Amino acid sequence: MLSPYEKILFALLVAVSLYLATVTFRRMIGTIMRGQGHLAWDGLPGRLWTGVKTLAGQNNMIRNRPLVSLAHTGIAWGFILYMAVNVVDVLEGLVTGFVFLEEGTAGQVYRLLVDLMTLAALVGMAALLIRRFIVKSADLAVTPNVKLHPRAAGGIRRDSLIVGFFILGHVGFRLVGASFDIAIHGPDPWQPVAALAAGLWSGLEPSWLTFGLHASWWIAIGLVLVFLPWFPFSKHAHLFMGPFNLMTAPERTSPGALDALDFEDETIEQFGAGRITDLDRTHITDAFACIMCNRCQDACPAYATGKELSPAALEVNKRYHLRDHMKSLATGGEDTEPMLGYAMSESALWACTACGACTEACPVGNEPMFDILAMRRNQVLMESAFPNELKGAFTGIERNGNPWQMAGDRMEWTESLDFKVPTVAEHPDYDVLFWVGCAGAFDPSARDTARAIATVLHRAGVDFAVLGNDESCTGDLARRAGNEYLFSIAAEGNIETLNAAGADQAGQKKIVTGCPHCLHTLGNEYGALGGRYEVMHHTQLIGELAKAGRLAMPGRDGTRTTYHDPCYLGRHGGEYEAPRQALAATGPSLVEMARSRNRSFCCGAGGAQVWKEEEGGREAVSDHRFREARETGADTLAVGCPFCARMMNDANKRAGEPMRVRDIAEIVAESIQDEQERTHHDDR
Amino acid sequence: MNIIALVKQTPDTAQLSASMDGLKLSAEGGPRIVNPWDEYTLETAIQAREEHGGKVTALCLGPPEAADALKTALAMGVDEAVLVSDPAMADSDSLTSARILVAAIRKVGAFDLIVGGRAAIDGNTAATAVQVAALLGVPLVSYVAELRNLDPSDRTLSAVRLLEKARETVTSRLPALITVVKEINEPRYPSLIGIRKAARANIPIWGCKDLSLDAAAVGAGASGVEWRTELPPVREAHIEMIDGGPEDAARTLVDRLMEEKVI
Repeated sequence: MLSPYEKILFALLVAVSLYLATVTFRRMIGTIMRGQGHLAWDGLPGRLWTGVKTLAGQNNMIRNRPLVSLAHTGIAWGFILYMAVNVVDVLEGLVTGFVFLEEGTAGQVYRLLVDLMTLAALVGMAALLIRRFIVKSADLAVTPNVKLHPRAAGGIRRDSLIVGFFILGHVGFRLVGASFDIAIHGPDPWQPVAALAAGLWSGLEPSWLTFGLHASWWIAIGLVLVFLPWFPFSKHAHLFMGPFNLMTAPERTSPGALDALDFEDETIEQFGAGRITDLDRTHITDAFACIMCNRCQDACPAYATGKELSPAALEVNKRYHLRDHMKSLATGGEDTEPMLGYAMSESALWACTACGACTEACPVGNEPMFDILAMRRNQVLMESAFPNELKGAFTGIERNGNPWQMAGDRMEWTESLDFKVPTVAEHPDYDVLFWVGCAGAFDPSARDTARAIATVLHRAGVDFAVLGNDESCTGDLARRAGNEYLFSIAAEGNIETLNAAGADQAGQKKIVTGCPHCLHTLGNEYGALGGRYEVMHHTQLIGELAKAGRLAMPGRDGTRTTYHDPCYLGRHGGEYEAPRQALAATGPSLVEMARSRNRSFCCGAGGAQVWKEEEGGREAVSDHRFREARETGADTLAVGCPFCARMMNDANKRAGEPMRVRDIAEIVAESIQDEQERTHHDDR
Repeated sequence: MNIIALVKQTPDTAQLSASMDGLKLSAEGGPRIVNPWDEYTLETAIQAREEHGGKVTALCLGPPEAADALKTALAMGVDEAVLVSDPAMADSDSLTSARILVAAIRKVGAFDLIVGGRAAIDGNTAATAVQVAALLGVPLVSYVAELRNLDPSDRTLSAVRLLEKARETVTSRLPALITVVKEINEPRYPSLIGIRKAARANIPIWGCKDLSLDAAAVGAGASGVEWRTELPPVREAHIEMIDGGPEDAARTLVDRLMEEKVI
């Protein structure tokens, strides 16, 4: 198709484009490589499959914002197809007489597919441009109290506009070219959209048609060549950096399991992330993968309640900072700007509840929560600058083995039970080790839950024991608050205790916890430090016992109950069914909140929040969540975590106690009690 | 500015147990901590150094295990730490302790400011720092809740003392000795870098010989006060539940508290 002169020009353009792209892509890769650790490449076939799968399936992004996701899918699938289409078009342009697949069925299907996907991409792109620039969707805005790079707001708009016109131009002129082709070579029923457009050219001179065909080809392909070197500067790089990010993600035992730090190596002088180069490579990649869609922001409990934190703004700020320093960073230059200045405010840093909703919501596999926790590590371990209230909790873990700084007896909660709870020392042949947790041992309301769990285990005939005063805080709060050193000390001590108690005998002994935070730490985080245990949440064990018929329950409770998924049981633990099954066995009708299961909204306690004053915002996270629970019309709010219980109880009190807040264990224990009384009554 | 911080290691009184040998610091005696008041001592000294430059030396009199308290001091940020320890010094009363500390302070050398806590939570005499000031012949400003104006060039300080029913602003010349109360600041949490530095630090131990003290002039034999403590203390408490609605209950509570002269 192309004339010899055009071919020479094309070759020159390709050379320039590739040269410039090499320069800019090397900068981007060089910048990523300034991060710590390694991008994961082990098990490459599986990782490639992840890339293909997420690209084709759009990483299930349709689960949130369905209409926008649909428009995006049109563009994305169109673009995936266009990767092949561009190669075909270039070949058809360069090789005289070459027509891909020619006139056979395959060619017809190919042309129809391209024609329809072109339309899908154009409609999708137009819809997204209208959403951003005409409707001005609030989803794309960030509240003014959140720190945002001074150029970000305007920059994102400009970038979106450039990308929008690039896509419209690239795909649109491919369509225009196809329409000229039809005008020249006659109608093609397999390209209905292009055929429709060809009607525009009726009556044009053949020479104009040929000019139109060539011009369209040049614009469609030329735009790609122009845009290619620009990718590393545009958020549009997400189209390959997104799948790349998902493909190179590290294996984690849970979506929120943190990596341990090496405190033995005396040469290490930086702990946590003070500067962006202190982040892991995968988290620098996050900034390049981010398309700035704010889906993480939608899911963030801190943002929803008016705090200064937006996980989206964090990624945006990282990206703009990297953009400004990419050349220097890629060539080994030092970045001296602390992240806690441009990336987020101090209040934002301490507003995170470590609930993991942001990582769950992100379609390109970004993990803003990890950056926040890495920055907290820097604040605690390097700067010793953190909310003062946390000091009490840290000192409590250090000296008393519990964050409440309680010096009391960890067995006191058992005193009012009508059966004896044995300690491991008294009963080393136990099957199940009940890890009571600091809350269960000391918090008055959590003690009720601990007693309920013990009662259920006792009634079901489970052979269990507790550690009593040998138990000590797992260190979860220290870890989420950035005090990794304290966490490592706590973990070491507990692993020693647990192994001495034989809890590491896989297949013979298991641990059941009354708290999802203990569950997550013992089950998903101690492994890396040498403590491998089979750990269950109490609702999982209760679910099993109910299923096995070991719990006699009337199963005809008339209440309406809604269940609040704790972040560290649900998102971080992957358990959504067992608590519902345990609850269902007691017989209430279950109603779901608008946000439940993996989209559950934090109670506000996580990420060490419960040990400090909540950061300033519009409302308390707990009040927000409690309102969501009330909106179901249920009379009981079932929880599975002592901290959720406490937050929801407090919110309930503030709202005038319109609901009954109970741990599932308590509901089950009450139900067993009722059944016993009933059968006892019947016997008489 | 040369600052000396007086630090004591004490039992963790939140975790007193019958296994403790009185208030003595024995390895089996339960957890030992930096005297909580001395956390404020250290913070005050470090802040003064941060503002005016110079050096903070932490001095601790106690058994060899008390070096842990000095590790905490170093981790928080003092420049040097010295443990004053000698078996002969065991069971010294506050005056004898003050004499030993004065000998150590003289060995440290010239100073502008000495900081101590209002008391130690074990003996709770609140006397040692006072006696140190008297023996050194420097002004004492006790119960300092606010250090307003520390001026090394003018060689003065101005401080707010927190008294039972008043706040008293006083000025003093330097060198002086101040004791601080917890209202003065918020002690820092040692950073990991600080903890690592402290772990590597070599803490010198000064005994009677180093301080040119006669072993007979220190310890229990040279002390007029003897401690006989039984732990944990017997608590005489009884619980009284107040019934009634919130308003009535509050009224009854206030009456009862006033009866007991709590308020």
